[in-house]
Amino acid sequence: MNSFEANVSRLAQSDPALASALRQSRGGTLEVIPARTGMPSARANGRWIHSAYDPIKEAQAWAESQSQQDGETIVVLGVGLLYHVEALCARLPRTAPVVLVVPDLSVLADAAAARTWGDWMDRVAWAWGTTEAISEQIADAGHPLRLVPYAPAAALHEDSHRAMETALQRQIAAQAGGQLRIAVVGPIYGGSLPITGFVVRALESLGHHVRWLDHSVHATSYHQLELLKNSQHRLALQSKYAEMLSRITMAQLAEDPPDLVLSLAQAPLVLPALEHLRRKRFMTAMWFVENFRHLTYWQQLAAGYDFWFVIQQEPCLAALKQAGAKEVRYLPMAADPSVHRPLELTQTEREEYGSDVSFVGAGYANRRAIFPRLLGHDWRFKLWGNEWDGATDLTSVLQRNGARIDTDTCLKVFNGSAVNLNLHSWAGTGLDPEGDFVNPRTFELAACGAFQLADRRSLMPDLFSASEVATVSSSDELPGEIARWLREPEQRLAMAAQARQRVLAEHTYAHRMRNLLSQVGVASPDRIGPILRGDRQAEALAVAAADSFPSLASTLRTFPPTQRVELKQLAAQIRSRGPIGSLSREDLMVLMLDEYRSETKDLV
Amino acid sequence: MQHDEEATARTLLIQLARLGDLVQSLPVIASLAARYPHRSLDLLCPAPLADLARLFPGVRQVLLWNGAQWHAWAESFVGEFQPSWLREVEQYLAGLTTEPYKMAYVLNHHPRAILAGTLLATEVQGPHLRGPLDEELSPWASYLRHVAHTRGSNRIHLADTFCGLCGVTPPPAPPVLIPPSCNLPNDLAEVGISAGQWVAVAVGAGDADRSIPVAVWIEWISTLLAHEAPCAVVLVGTERDQTTALAIQDGLSPMIAGRLWDATGRTTLSQLATLLKRCHWAVGADTGPLHLATAVGTSSMGFYFSRARVHETGPYGQGHWVWQADRALPEIWPIRPSVALLLDPAIASQQEPVAGWSLWQSHHDEWGAIFRPVGDSDPQEDQRAAVWYRLSEQRLSLQGVQ
Repeated sequence: MNSFEANVSRLAQSDPALASALRQSRGGTLEVIPARTGMPSARANGRWIHSAYDPIKEAQAWAESQSQQDGETIVVLGVGLLYHVEALCARLPRTAPVVLVVPDLSVLADAAAARTWGDWMDRVAWAWGTTEAISEQIADAGHPLRLVPYAPAAALHEDSHRAMETALQRQIAAQAGGQLRIAVVGPIYGGSLPITGFVVRALESLGHHVRWLDHSVHATSYHQLELLKNSQHRLALQSKYAEMLSRITMAQLAEDPPDLVLSLAQAPLVLPALEHLRRKRFMTAMWFVENFRHLTYWQQLAAGYDFWFVIQQEPCLAALKQAGAKEVRYLPMAADPSVHRPLELTQTEREEYGSDVSFVGAGYANRRAIFPRLLGHDWRFKLWGNEWDGATDLTSVLQRNGARIDTDTCLKVFNGSAVNLNLHSWAGTGLDPEGDFVNPRTFELAACGAFQLADRRSLMPDLFSASEVATVSSSDELPGEIARWLREPEQRLAMAAQARQRVLAEHTYAHRMRNLLSQVGVASPDRIGPILRGDRQAEALAVAAADSFPSLASTLRTFPPTQRVELKQLAAQIRSRGPIGSLSREDLMVLMLDEYRSETKDLV
Repeated sequence: MQHDEEATARTLLIQLARLGDLVQSLPVIASLAARYPHRSLDLLCPAPLADLARLFPGVRQVLLWNGAQWHAWAESFVGEFQPSWLREVEQYLAGLTTEPYKMAYVLNHHPRAILAGTLLATEVQGPHLRGPLDEELSPWASYLRHVAHTRGSNRIHLADTFCGLCGVTPPPAPPVLIPPSCNLPNDLAEVGISAGQWVAVAVGAGDADRSIPVAVWIEWISTLLAHEAPCAVVLVGTERDQTTALAIQDGLSPMIAGRLWDATGRTTLSQLATLLKRCHWAVGADTGPLHLATAVGTSSMGFYFSRARVHETGPYGQGHWVWQADRALPEIWPIRPSVALLLDPAIASQQEPVAGWSLWQSHHDEWGAIFRPVGDSDPQEDQRAAVWYRLSEQRLSLQGVQ
């Protein structure tokens, strides 16, 4: 019997459907070539999947570098010739479940034909079929999950793995009932400050306990430093100030350690502080809601955060990884429907804020170059926002002498304009040829039910369709498109309504935060994942304690079943019995551990 | 039968504080051993001090309290508490003792020590009257709290209050610790061998505010070594004190080369005990090495300031000296008088008073250690006997003994 027959026959005993499907598969994806040791190795698309010298030794070294904790299910991504799966099975305890994701049966058929598998194959669960079927099989294998990619083989099916991971995240998000303690670190000032507020509100709406470490209270002092004329002094003091705020943040975190520290762009946490937080086992994430090409300080911080979430895809993802970031994920901007909403304007408000065409934003170079071409037409154009100094040709349309516009005013303008222009900023004279990310204004306008005409962005089609947001590809198209849309009020209303529905269905900050947390949860199977699943809730803990620690289980049952319970709460509950209450051995151990816990973390 | 079990019960003394407190537990160990000669007494102490604790007479076995491990557990439990993880804690405790002790004597008024006692023994005697959550203090713990607030009239030494906490009286004579004949680093092997006065200088202190300034040490050592009488100085302390020791050496004249040894951070606690035993004197603030020197029988001279009080934590025994400052941060230091005293203790009574300082000498009697002022009579009446009678009666009354 050849290897293929031997392997498939044995596989048929545990998964007859897979065995049958393999017999139908033709294989041929892998090019199987003998390694120097004589064992078969493989290539695909011209790249080696296993070592050309010694695939067994290489797989053993890979397996040694993988971590695993008791109770976890190991999910292997990447098939190849399965040397790595064999090595991993040899290294893991026999009780550790191993699931192999098989996105393409043809590769597995090649692997089956290349060599005869050993007893290890009996302990592997094979997850195959559609993306949804694979993710369901993985979820059925039991939690918590640890995804272990064998990169050379996994690279063949990156898209499938990403889709499978997304499906898993959806499942975790759907199951999420646990309450996380999240510290949100905001900036001193700037565009990410209001976004921090939206993020905090969204996390709270998802039921998490959120603490906003709000550094906007330091803005006045910080701006005073900007008045210093000596640039050396100014930069040195601003740097010291940022370090000081970093220390303040650390002190705040030490007082009530969260499960996750979530920073928004421009949060004053310096790299040494982030490294210290990691040593103290704080989990950190950054949502970098900035254009990575314009603000480049991420290069210094990349290695400091456990997770980066960015509003751009390639080449941003690769650039951050190159700079040392371990996990980088795409997370586009969003809107907060409780703020960004349709408004009924009074007649007076219509007169003040309304117009045929409007734009709200700062006077970047491309806008200064484009907007003069919108003057002198038969529409009423209003320009709102600051940093328009020197744009004398736009003085006639600039509102409030270029004063900064607050959110309320912004919403009235959005709701009062027939066509809201949404030109992303750029330092050139036209539209950004590399324009990729979609700015917050796009989501905010849509959430307001306001019609917008935006410049084309490469990431827009994934977020809004052409029937939701109108776009132009060049600045030359702009006057014609404005005129067109002004002539079509009904279609404008229909598009704006669809765009709002799209935001409510997919693009709120709550959606983003659920997505962010589920991604962190999947990547952190031993920490965030269990909390999100509710494993740290009183009832789940009581069940876990019932056999070995009955007294502890009984204490845990005195909490509301869905309450998140940690050492601190448990100790407080035990202490609340008062001086004459009897204490079990478990109670005493918990009290002792809490004594050591209560010492402030050495962070400052 | 029950009486026999009581008499031979396994008991455990719990001392989780620092080196100085551990050494000052020697009297209570001696008293417990004398009072219950057939009981075995084990000692639970911080793991880093176990090396020294194993030398204590009257202790059958030393149990190691691994504070670092407890910290690590507590840190790892934060945010991710899982009941199953308690198994590891359980295993650690079982490693300390499989059977609970009949009695734990707890010397520290700290929840950890009290909890440790409750975890390891069926009965606990110490600061609390009842369980770890009961805040009602035992008579001796109440007395200590009172002393901490009022201080002035107290003349009962901490080491003797340890005896009171455990229901025994102070030993008739100060216990002596016999250091092992262990190997010292080569260059320290000659310490104490050549003629002259060998003086161990404990350069650091557990807390920064109890540390004697480097400039004071430089002047003190310079004054000592400038004297005609042959003297040698050994700087002692932990690894943490090495910077201070180097700063002191930098400030000294090169002329003293060959008369000063730096042993800071280079000895185990057993080696330090041996080294101190070889010296004739130990000088320092209220610090662990000073108490260790006292315990091995070396004459000690302490400079007590900040929160240190001679009557509470002076060197325990007979004939030791303490210069007590009347303020937390002394402006001047009794450098020449203290050097003169060290070179000739007989002149003590002829010493001119030093502004801001008083000089005390230790004595020992049936109520334990007592420090008496040199030259004058103690302005406070010695109330030790009355305190012992009163607290013993209260204790017996709480135990229901008529």
